[in-house]
Amino acid sequence: MFAKHVTRDISAYCHGELSPAESRRFAEHMISCAKCRGEFEEIKLGIKLAEQLPRVPAPESLWIGIESSLAAPKPIEVKRTSWQPRVAAAAAILVAVAAFGVWRFWRHGSSSQFSKPAWQVQQLGGASRIGGERITKEGQLAVGEWLETDANSRAQIAVSSIGKVDIDENTRVRLLETAPTEHRLELARGKMSAMIWAPPRLFFVDTPSAVAADLGCAYTLEVDDHGAGLLRVTSGRVALELRDRESMVPAGAACETRPGVGPGTPYFEDALASFRGALETVDFEHDAVARSQALDLMLSQARARDTLTLWHLLARVDGEDRVRVYEKISAFVPPPAGVTREGVLRLDQGMLGRWKDALEASWFVNDTVLPKVIAEGYWRVKNGVVRRLKQQ
Amino acid sequence: MERRAIVAQQLIDGSVIEACQQGDREAFQLLFETYKDKVFSIAVYSVGGDRAVADDVTQQIFLKLFTAIRQFRGESEFTTWLYRLVVNACLDERRRRKRWLPWGESTAMSNAGDRKPQEKQFARLEVAEAVQAAIAELKPSFRLPILLKYIEGLSYEEIASVMGCSKGTVASRLNRGHSQLAKRLSHLNHPAAWGE
Repeated sequence: MFAKHVTRDISAYCHGELSPAESRRFAEHMISCAKCRGEFEEIKLGIKLAEQLPRVPAPESLWIGIESSLAAPKPIEVKRTSWQPRVAAAAAILVAVAAFGVWRFWRHGSSSQFSKPAWQVQQLGGASRIGGERITKEGQLAVGEWLETDANSRAQIAVSSIGKVDIDENTRVRLLETAPTEHRLELARGKMSAMIWAPPRLFFVDTPSAVAADLGCAYTLEVDDHGAGLLRVTSGRVALELRDRESMVPAGAACETRPGVGPGTPYFEDALASFRGALETVDFEHDAVARSQALDLMLSQARARDTLTLWHLLARVDGEDRVRVYEKISAFVPPPAGVTREGVLRLDQGMLGRWKDALEASWFVNDTVLPKVIAEGYWRVKNGVVRRLKQQ
Repeated sequence: MERRAIVAQQLIDGSVIEACQQGDREAFQLLFETYKDKVFSIAVYSVGGDRAVADDVTQQIFLKLFTAIRQFRGESEFTTWLYRLVVNACLDERRRRKRWLPWGESTAMSNAGDRKPQEKQFARLEVAEAVQAAIAELKPSFRLPILLKYIEGLSYEEIASVMGCSKGTVASRLNRGHSQLAKRLSHLNHPAAWGE
């Protein structure tokens, strides 16, 4: 299945040198191949580093040295070509451009949009604003600019060549960066839906309470006026991060975020309402007694697939509560060989990771969401068939 | 500055080059002003950051350009032809010197006066210096495509034309160059290293 690894195309993909069909094949393979993903991360770092190379201005004295080295001036019969007026024109344009640059810098300071990369924005209804100015049908969102929709407007952003983001009503987003190694939006308020077809960790969304890192997926993200957020994943998976706190949210699951706390614990959306209410207490309440009681309720109502939530809780509760969570998960899926109770309770990352791998099978049983391996195989075959049909 | 360079570059067309071919000093100076920073940048990175040597190499390149431009027939883009000259001069310099100078304190391009107190800017400067040093240690076959890509902003096709190889070879060399940079500077793969 992995005979055609795509590592040799990584730089070309990042630099936009592949055709749309090649880019799509690259992304399809990358999503399902751990080996290529590992090399992608390495080369992405190499590109990020190479982008730091500054151009070095030549010393002013260089021309003097060159001029003196040239042979003594000979009378040259210069044909009066059209270049001399061009030199005059060049000088005039350079002066004008420099003057315009000074004026623009004075007017806009460092926020000048000169040659900044931008994304295409399409109006879906009403009249959105980019940088405070209304757009009618289409617009360009440059790095640093805000796109705002009101109660009657929606818009769609083309995320470079890797996907699209629908912006709902009453939403405020800003383009922070678009580069071969990273595309980053800021969602200050409102709701957006992202559909990204790219290798993991190429598209990020900053919110006031967490950063959403795309791992090849589709999801919606909402932020209220207080900076609290809600992520709902419909396909693939998303990592929500803030400093050392991370939540992995797979398809069918959701996760709340709070300013000052970061991402809460992910849960499947079909969990009991009382289970989800108790989780909110465990995640965001400060009262230890209330949290412990809420944990009791969660443990009594947890289903096998709720081990997604319980596994994340292992690192977020301590003492006797951690032991209770451990025992509940073990009752559903015992730790695999080499993963010990002591190791899990002291939060050994390797053991936690191996247990998570074993648990994942139970997260998607009896659900319309297929296990990752099967789903990826299905989509690879389906996409291949569709591609061939299109080529015929 | 970038905008000025673009405007000037757009004005370098057949008539300016024709004037240069006839030995016109003013036309040549226009050519020099347009490309001097790009040529100097490649030279300075190719000689391990030694500005004095880069000065010499850049002068040699423009002096050679002044005489060789008569042979330019317009069969390729002028920039492709120019960068080919630059790449060959840098490779010749390497052969002449036989070994690369280490990127030492005396040759580093960082200008302490430019450093601003902000932690992030300082961290970025540190990263840029580390990258410059790592670039100097790459083999020329990996270094030159990186310089042509990131300093000159050339496409893979243009790099292939300058280096006289296929587009696939450029992709492969850039891949390996990026990979080696990442391996040498893996300690920078942390937000704190970038002041974030």
